[in-house]
Amino acid sequence: MRMREFLVPDGDRWILLCWLLLCLSSLAVLWSVTEPIRGPYLDLDPGVVKSVFYRQVVWVLVGLMALLVAARIRLRTLENLAVPTMLALVALLTLLLVLGPSISGSRRWFLLGPIRMQPAEFAKITFILAVARILGGNQDQGPRPMLVIGTLGLMLVHVFLVMREPDLGTSLVFLAVWIGMVFWYGVPGILLLGAGSAALSAVIMFISESVLSRQPWPWGLYLLLLIGILYLVPIGIPARIFMLLINVASGLGIPFLWEKLRGYQQERILTFFDPMRDQFGSGYQAIQSKVAIGSGGVFGTHYLQGTQKGLAFLPERHTDFIFSVVGEELGLVGCVFLLMLFLVIIMRGITIAGAARRSFWRYAAVGIVAYFTFHVFVNVSITTGLLPVTGLPLPGLSYGGSNMVTSSFLLGVLLNISSRTFDT
Amino acid sequence: MPGRELEFRKQIFRGVVVLLFMLLAGDLFWMTVPRSRYYRGLALENRQVRFRVRAPRGRVLDRRGVLLADNTFIADITLSAREYAAGRCDSTVARLCSWFGLEEDAVQARLDAQQERGAGRLTLVANADLAGVVLVEERRRELPGVRVETRPRRRYVQGPLFAHLIGYVGQIRDEEIGSGNGDLDYRSGDMIGRQGIERAFEAPLRGRCGIKLEEVNAAGHRVGRSPVWLEEVVPGRDIRLTLDLQLQQALAEAIGPRVACGVAISCRTGEILAAYSNPTFDPNLLTVPISQADWQLLIDDPRKPFFNRVLQATYPPASLYKPIVSLAALGAGVVGRDTELEPCLGGWQLGNRYFRCWKSSGHGRIDHLDALVHSCDTYFYQLALKLDIDTLAKAARAFGLGAVRSGIFSEEVPGLVPDRKWYDEHFGPGRWSRGVVLNNAIGQGELLVTPLQMAIVAGRLAVGEGLPTPTFVAGQQRTDPLPPLGFSALDLAWERKALREVVVRGTGQNAALPDVPVAGKTGTAQNPHGEDHAWFMCFAPADAPEVALAVIVENAGHGGSEAAPVARQWLEAYFHGSARESTLEPLKPTGEVFP
Repeated sequence: MRMREFLVPDGDRWILLCWLLLCLSSLAVLWSVTEPIRGPYLDLDPGVVKSVFYRQVVWVLVGLMALLVAARIRLRTLENLAVPTMLALVALLTLLLVLGPSISGSRRWFLLGPIRMQPAEFAKITFILAVARILGGNQDQGPRPMLVIGTLGLMLVHVFLVMREPDLGTSLVFLAVWIGMVFWYGVPGILLLGAGSAALSAVIMFISESVLSRQPWPWGLYLLLLIGILYLVPIGIPARIFMLLINVASGLGIPFLWEKLRGYQQERILTFFDPMRDQFGSGYQAIQSKVAIGSGGVFGTHYLQGTQKGLAFLPERHTDFIFSVVGEELGLVGCVFLLMLFLVIIMRGITIAGAARRSFWRYAAVGIVAYFTFHVFVNVSITTGLLPVTGLPLPGLSYGGSNMVTSSFLLGVLLNISSRTFDT
Repeated sequence: MPGRELEFRKQIFRGVVVLLFMLLAGDLFWMTVPRSRYYRGLALENRQVRFRVRAPRGRVLDRRGVLLADNTFIADITLSAREYAAGRCDSTVARLCSWFGLEEDAVQARLDAQQERGAGRLTLVANADLAGVVLVEERRRELPGVRVETRPRRRYVQGPLFAHLIGYVGQIRDEEIGSGNGDLDYRSGDMIGRQGIERAFEAPLRGRCGIKLEEVNAAGHRVGRSPVWLEEVVPGRDIRLTLDLQLQQALAEAIGPRVACGVAISCRTGEILAAYSNPTFDPNLLTVPISQADWQLLIDDPRKPFFNRVLQATYPPASLYKPIVSLAALGAGVVGRDTELEPCLGGWQLGNRYFRCWKSSGHGRIDHLDALVHSCDTYFYQLALKLDIDTLAKAARAFGLGAVRSGIFSEEVPGLVPDRKWYDEHFGPGRWSRGVVLNNAIGQGELLVTPLQMAIVAGRLAVGEGLPTPTFVAGQQRTDPLPPLGFSALDLAWERKALREVVVRGTGQNAALPDVPVAGKTGTAQNPHGEDHAWFMCFAPADAPEVALAVIVENAGHGGSEAAPVARQWLEAYFHGSARESTLEPLKPTGEVFP
């Protein structure tokens, strides 16, 4: 194979272009974050060391290597390796809970010399591929509920292990990816409707109980409304009973689940509904992030000029809240530009998933699309205050090796699939 | 999977993604366009902090411009209340506690208490020494929210010498904030004058606080180069006293360790030249938080070191009152300047009471002049019987007794000049005998005066109406002039002659100077609680008075033997020292002094 062929992978050129632009944006933003602020101020220590930028350069290069490898590897090999590597990662995650070093109260990383390796990130790859392998196994025989339930078990194991680290945000990735893939697999609409309404019921019950401090009347109202709709909508009696039961169960189950959450998790969720509740604690991040983005306006304060970032009001500004720096310095224009890049990747991904010839490829592509959709939506929503604060990186932009390699590798797989779908 | 179903799911998937992204875009648009102004305001608030800057307190100078009180700095190690509330300071507090050897629990409790009061910055270590400040400054980066804050500390250059007169400043108490301090804006931790000049001239000394905006980072460290001043600092104005450091020192030396006080006043300008009360205290101890034990020691001292005897102590004037009685009698025409009355046989019988003369063997036949010179009580008992109590009281008030005289010190007390009305109110109409007049005539009984008042009496005996209203501060405007004397110039001149004779051949010989003619009067105030108080008032030179002085030594005995030597020592210092020249002309109010 000639060098040029290796360096320019086949497959969707739009995806590759957008990903490269995202990686370059990441470097540009990290350079700004690690620059001392100037202008009317004294040269001021930015609080995030310059080496973060240089490390990220390395991580981008390592990520691109992973992308090239994933784009070139035989997909059959991936398919065969999917389940064993997934099991290996589950074992690793279990091991992490037992042996992992505790860093500020959580066991998320293995220390490999100077590098922190986060197994949960790589488990996303193996999980997507393994679920794709399982769902894709019985091509053209119609959906089989047992397979869905099997992958559900697999998903719950991942969610459980990662939640124990504890890392709520990452654990929810598995849930989101699973929902996307199972939806594509063809779950009956009534199930999805049921799950959706059950989630709504849970949220309303939660608001009734915790935020409004034990006034369950909004939930009662919701239940009455549901009964009315079920009466009017022409569906079978069993479906109606199923809908009613699942709503009641999730609504009544939420207080029990709430008790199971850790104190800091409860606090964050409560703070989400009322950020001023803890202005200097977990609400602080949400407020400062909104201030940064909002004060940026349409065109931002211009590159290197952000004050909230520079004066360190913005926490985690090089990792989970990097989007807020974009908002402050580059404004609405910069934000929308980045979102467009992600949207292109996701839309192309859906097209690939729809066109892929083999079912393993299809489900893998859907899983990857769901992965990116969830990461982008949740991360950006956290920075704008739409969702409660939970640690989740923005793929391609946030500083960090594990996620950079994971995201790049997954995109490589997507490119690989697309090259085999459209070229031949 | 059928192609139609696949296409349907693809559309749903796309629809969900587009919906989610539109939600994000819509939210971002909402924040950055219609709500941007709001967030911009918050961003500005984030990094701009209003700092209140205390004005430097005005200095206090003596009449020749010698520094008596100014400001130095003390450094506090403080913590951002915001950071502390967020719980981000626990390890910082622990480290600082170990460096400064503090009990962590106690510090924690103190910080919590300050937090509760709503302080913006919490004081961790007050009055840190230089080594501590350097330690913290060097590690500032590792100590988020920690700042070394300097605040001015009052320094009393002469320490105890002017303690009573200048007073001292102390931290304002929480209950004093915002109540009755006019438009002066006090905050917790501010200093306020507690006594003397510091209290009397609080407003001009204090000046006005400024407010500036400064850029800070998230840890609360200042980063701005040039602050924006919203309100300029108005520095406190200097106060120039009429007192002279040398003369004050001379008075303190003359008094020595005695429980005593003295006031000297310039007869030409009415300016107070020295005013010293002993025992005294070091006001520098009170400008930093003083330990409870030290404080208790000071206030439990039976000799009352905080008590400014010049203004706050009242004594019977004793024989110092005799010139006033004499003038009252001359003014009323009941005796002449050379009238002899019944001879002194050691006392006077009135009804069933025998009023003793201090000289139990008696003065024999004695005329008006000699009665003053030898301070014969019997003669003055007889004078009193020719006068009524209201005539005496009127004469006393004409000299300025019975009212506050400083015009500025709120701690000053007026003393008491009893009259018929007063006796009727306190003893009941007709329930008091003529005997009280006899007691009054020798300055005993219910009469009470302050040393300051007696210095004014001495000054008015020296120069009559010519004595300007006394002042303590250069340029001090008096709205309450001394009352008119209303005695004839001839009588006053004769009185002056008598007081000169007191020092030449009478009871005040211990005050005599070889080269300067001194005139004065001794007094021995009866003290039911112990040894008598020794009084002496004088002026000199007797023929052209420049300076008048009143001295009282508590529980010392006779004025002639105990108080007069103190006066002489001070007069000696006055006439032979370099300060005299500057006292002859009144101080001109210059820019630096009180308006």
